[in-house]
Amino acid sequence: MTAKTLDGNVFYKNEKIFMPVPQQFGRGDKMGRGPYEKSGLLRDTSLPPHKTVKEQFSIPVYKETTVDGKLVRTIIANDFTVDVEIWYLPYGKKEDPGNAQKWFAVSKKMSIEKGGK
Amino acid sequence: MGLFKRKHLLLGLSVMPLVITGALAAEEKAKTIAELAARYDSTSCKECHPEIHAQWEKSIHARSIFGDAQVGRTAATIKTTIENGLKEWPYSGVKTPGDVGVKQLMMCTKCHLPQLQDAEDSVAKEIVKNVYAFADGDEKAGQTLQTLNIGCTICHGTNAIVHKWTDGYPQKDTVYGSKDGVHEDPSHPVMKQSKIMKESILCGQCHGLGPNFEHDNPTQCATLYGTHLYAYIPEGGQEKCQECHMHKSKLGHNIQSYRSAEMAKMALDVNVEAQAFQWRDVTTTTPAANVVVAITNKAGHAIPDG
Repeated sequence: MTAKTLDGNVFYKNEKIFMPVPQQFGRGDKMGRGPYEKSGLLRDTSLPPHKTVKEQFSIPVYKETTVDGKLVRTIIANDFTVDVEIWYLPYGKKEDPGNAQKWFAVSKKMSIEKGGK
Repeated sequence: MGLFKRKHLLLGLSVMPLVITGALAAEEKAKTIAELAARYDSTSCKECHPEIHAQWEKSIHARSIFGDAQVGRTAATIKTTIENGLKEWPYSGVKTPGDVGVKQLMMCTKCHLPQLQDAEDSVAKEIVKNVYAFADGDEKAGQTLQTLNIGCTICHGTNAIVHKWTDGYPQKDTVYGSKDGVHEDPSHPVMKQSKIMKESILCGQCHGLGPNFEHDNPTQCATLYGTHLYAYIPEGGQEKCQECHMHKSKLGHNIQSYRSAEMAKMALDVNVEAQAFQWRDVTTTTPAANVVVAITNKAGHAIPDG
């Protein structure tokens, strides 16, 4: 999830990971990495079948400064874009060749009114 | 009378292993990759089932110890298993890659190459040698690894019967499918119905329940069948693996998962609602946006698994 100004400046970035977290050798608090050391689960945030999972993202569209001891929030952009992507990442990094698969992407144009009190 | 009884018992003991394992026990174990690949070669099936064979060739099953054709991820993971696992564990019997035999490799090949149980340690060692050579950039080694696969005779043979005391042991001369009859293939002249060919349990043998406790050192690749049984079914789910991965996807024997656009489309419904607004607190105005992403998993299992 990213929010960016119309000229491409990213001012918000966040991600949620959905996956079972395997337990190393079925003991303790360490995650198991390869299949050879995974046995059991520490926690599970994978998407359960036949259920809807909702994630909420609150995006601050301002920079915060203090002027004369007073908090001032200055808007970053009145018009901006929010990009939501869902990737299937089986291992490693998204950039590794032949690895991550983009399952979903949408861009939403957002607008904050100018003027007023 | 006593002698007769004893003889009868001895006869029983000597015959039983042959009856139980059928042709499996009669065959000598394969000594090379080429020999093992030839025994489980699916080429002869192509003649009568060209479309199915062409579909299968595109699947990961067709390169099950190599992995995706682009990256060979499974081969890479076998190397990691040896380097970060077997070599480091004091009781594995492995100090160098050359020490890896069938017993150790079965922790991966239980599913990635179940026919390895019909091979000698020399085949396991040849596989390991090729895995390391491929990691060092040897493309030919990668090609050699791709001659080994989950071919027709695994799902339609070795793995076609789960409950062997109930349904009998799979026979080498038999191909298991949807009906009984004669099969026009000299090496598999018999055709029998597999009671699980359209059931999830067929796939669940490998796309499994979690730790594989039958190993001396359990591995855990898949938890898919577990979530199918314990999360999907309780939600009222009724579809079998084959219905989505083969039929609805129209992929047939090109059984795919997360790399397939068709499967990804079938797996999730995603709805995104976004709203920008200004929060006001006395004299401070706070411009913000709220985005709600709702993801519905339509698959017969959790996503992802592992």
